[in-house]
Amino acid sequence: MITEVEKIYFNDNFISYKMIKNNTTFQVPLDEANTDYQAIQEWIADGGTVIDNGGGE
Amino acid sequence: MAITKLIADSLGAGATPNQSAFKNIIINGDMSIAQRGTSATGVTTSDGYYACDRWYSQTDIGTWTISQSTDVPTGQGFVNSFKLDCTSAGTSNADEVMIRSRHEGQNLQYLKYGTASAESLTLSFWIKSNKTGNYYVALGNFNTTQNRVVSFGYSIDSANTWEKKTITIPGDTSQGFDNSNVENFTLFWLFSAAGAFTDGGVSNTWINYAANRFANSDLAGLGGSTADEVYLTGVQLEAGTTASDFEFLPHDVNLQRCQRYYQILGGTALSFYQEQYISGSSIYITGNARHIVNMRSSPSVSLTGSWVAVNMTGSSPTFTINDNNFTTYWQGGSAGRALYHLDGSSTLNFNGEL
Repeated sequence: MITEVEKIYFNDNFISYKMIKNNTTFQVPLDEANTDYQAIQEWIADGGTVIDNGGGE
Repeated sequence: MAITKLIADSLGAGATPNQSAFKNIIINGDMSIAQRGTSATGVTTSDGYYACDRWYSQTDIGTWTISQSTDVPTGQGFVNSFKLDCTSAGTSNADEVMIRSRHEGQNLQYLKYGTASAESLTLSFWIKSNKTGNYYVALGNFNTTQNRVVSFGYSIDSANTWEKKTITIPGDTSQGFDNSNVENFTLFWLFSAAGAFTDGGVSNTWINYAANRFANSDLAGLGGSTADEVYLTGVQLEAGTTASDFEFLPHDVNLQRCQRYYQILGGTALSFYQEQYISGSSIYITGNARHIVNMRSSPSVSLTGSWVAVNMTGSSPTFTINDNNFTTYWQGGSAGRALYHLDGSSTLNFNGEL
């Protein structure tokens, strides 16, 4: 079960998500064929809120 | 005749490629590859990939140990099987217990589904369980235009005895497989299922997708007792109407086929070692490595264990990842020597599964 999702930035570019699922941390690329990416989109559609601290570097 | 000529002749005109090498659509059908480890205990509703590569478990009732077993049918050449063992009972057929095998449609175009020439398929497998009775297999085509499903029954006749089952599936002339790298085709072995999967009854022919046509309501049902267990191995799905001998692949070939979907980096001291002398804290130390084989998609990455970091900022690097390589970016600390690497047996786990 996904419990937390955060946007990851590098050089001010949004490059991936950090996802905590079943107590394990994953970095998930922005690839629509990736099943974790698909799960994040479903989690967002179901009301999950993505942490977004911006780039700010 | 030169060997290359023989190979060319056998794979060339007049031969259907899947009738020779790689005739088996199933990857790791002999259950010999288990990159994630050979056993997972206490598995409940966290459906996913445990033990044997490419085999997805759904255990929505009870608690299970899922493992790569050495219990195999005698004299068939198999070394391993995939085992689901109920360790805490629930109510069988109150919810689902099943194993899935998922496949990319781009590997299945030769089956000519969606045309008048659609190939029949033959599924064969070895199975063993403590519980006799009726069981079901379903195949799903998750086409973006119209999902399709076909389901069949089989019986386990003798308790705790390996039995070989063979099922021939007619080709589907109505709907092709999408030519893509996502989950287009899935096989389901049902061991327990609620009415949502059974109240329409088994289909025996391809129909537009309906979840309640996966099985009949007389499904034997596992998970109602801690005695319940099931073993599966020797799974082969091939074009045609007869089951041929299981296609054993060399270990390295089988492993590389699995690594398209999941692969591990590290596991030994000083793995993925990166070091620089940096001039200040704004410097990032980058590392890059190619995946062992190209992966199905850009994979997710997780860490088992920990990093060793000297003069670095934060606790872990940032990754950019695609299907053939990855790069790490980690900001250094103060001017001077800075380094990072995986600690001891720690690993980076790349997941591109379906």
